[in-house]
Amino acid sequence: MYTLLSGFYRYLVQKDEYFIVILGLDNAGKTTYLEAAKTKFTKNYKGMNPSKITTTVGLNIGRIDTGGVRLNFWDLGGQEELQSLWDKYYAESHAVIYIVDSSDRDRIPVSKETFDKVISSEHLQGVPLLVLANKQDIPDCMGVRDVKPIFNQNAHLIGRRDCMVMPVSALTGEGVNEGINWLVDCIKRNNDIRPPRNQDNNGLS
Amino acid sequence: MSYFRSLIGSREMRILILGLDGAGKTTILYRLQVGEVVTTIPTIGFNVEQVTYKNLKFQVWDLGGQTSIRPYWRCYYSNTDAIIYVVDSADKDRIGISKDELLYMLREDELQNAILVVLANKQDMPGCLSVAEVHQALGLDALKNRTFQIFKTSAKRGEGLDQAMDWLSNALTAKK
Repeated sequence: MYTLLSGFYRYLVQKDEYFIVILGLDNAGKTTYLEAAKTKFTKNYKGMNPSKITTTVGLNIGRIDTGGVRLNFWDLGGQEELQSLWDKYYAESHAVIYIVDSSDRDRIPVSKETFDKVISSEHLQGVPLLVLANKQDIPDCMGVRDVKPIFNQNAHLIGRRDCMVMPVSALTGEGVNEGINWLVDCIKRNNDIRPPRNQDNNGLS
Repeated sequence: MSYFRSLIGSREMRILILGLDGAGKTTILYRLQVGEVVTTIPTIGFNVEQVTYKNLKFQVWDLGGQTSIRPYWRCYYSNTDAIIYVVDSADKDRIGISKDELLYMLREDELQNAILVVLANKQDMPGCLSVAEVHQALGLDALKNRTFQIFKTSAKRGEGLDQAMDWLSNALTAKK
């Protein structure tokens, strides 16, 4: 009887857990974006001062609850030598957020190449992709209209999965909500391909 | 509770410096405290010092790293805010042991909320491991539920420690 009741209780309070990996070149604004997302979706959370955010060499984690689900973020370092570590996270990811520095026109081709490499991975097949044209607060940056065609070029690599390019400013927080909400819808729809991890058997030690 | 704490001033952060023997833990501790390289002997037992960094007070414990005394690390785990794990980047033979000790330590319940900083130390030595190599050798990709950061350091030359402490103090302030 106890097992039945406690099982029912867990069924009621348990949230589906999803994992999202945040990728992009170094200095694209991945950690700033994560802090912005945490600030937007967590009550009483005061994000780290953006000026204090330094180059990530390692991992930052973040957790937010929204739309009845729990999202766990992995924010990884973007420097070239660290990109070889990204694929360790693919198999467990339910979505990818790829952040582009729209003000760094010189490195847009490199960013695009890196993106193609990411989405070619077989471990990410069928996983929703959110491409964020970040730093929209910088006056001279590329708009989403310019960024979108570049990242949508390789339709055959994107395939049938959900893929969206959106403008965002991690610094001001503009566009953060829209992106996360879109992603949550996609992840839920994608349940058959990548089912959520449950809290009591998520294997995290 | 947190209001109360802010009234009486913030509590000292408790930090452990861990790693194999000869990784440079004691040198790092005294680099942080007095800003100089001191001559050290292998630590049997521990050194503890109060370190002030940008208005934050840390109580830093440097525990001996020899095989026979590693089992005693766990006696110091409770209430730890952060772990500084020091790796000798030039000691390729023992990095596997370092990995095992790290993963074993991180399984402890008392350390579930501790922030991890890995120092890839002895970067002044020729032919040492790069950051990505240290990451791989320590199996850090298996560590998916904890914020951590790796820094290249040379305690001897005093390089990299400022960045590490900067990041650590920000991470600790944000966690509070």
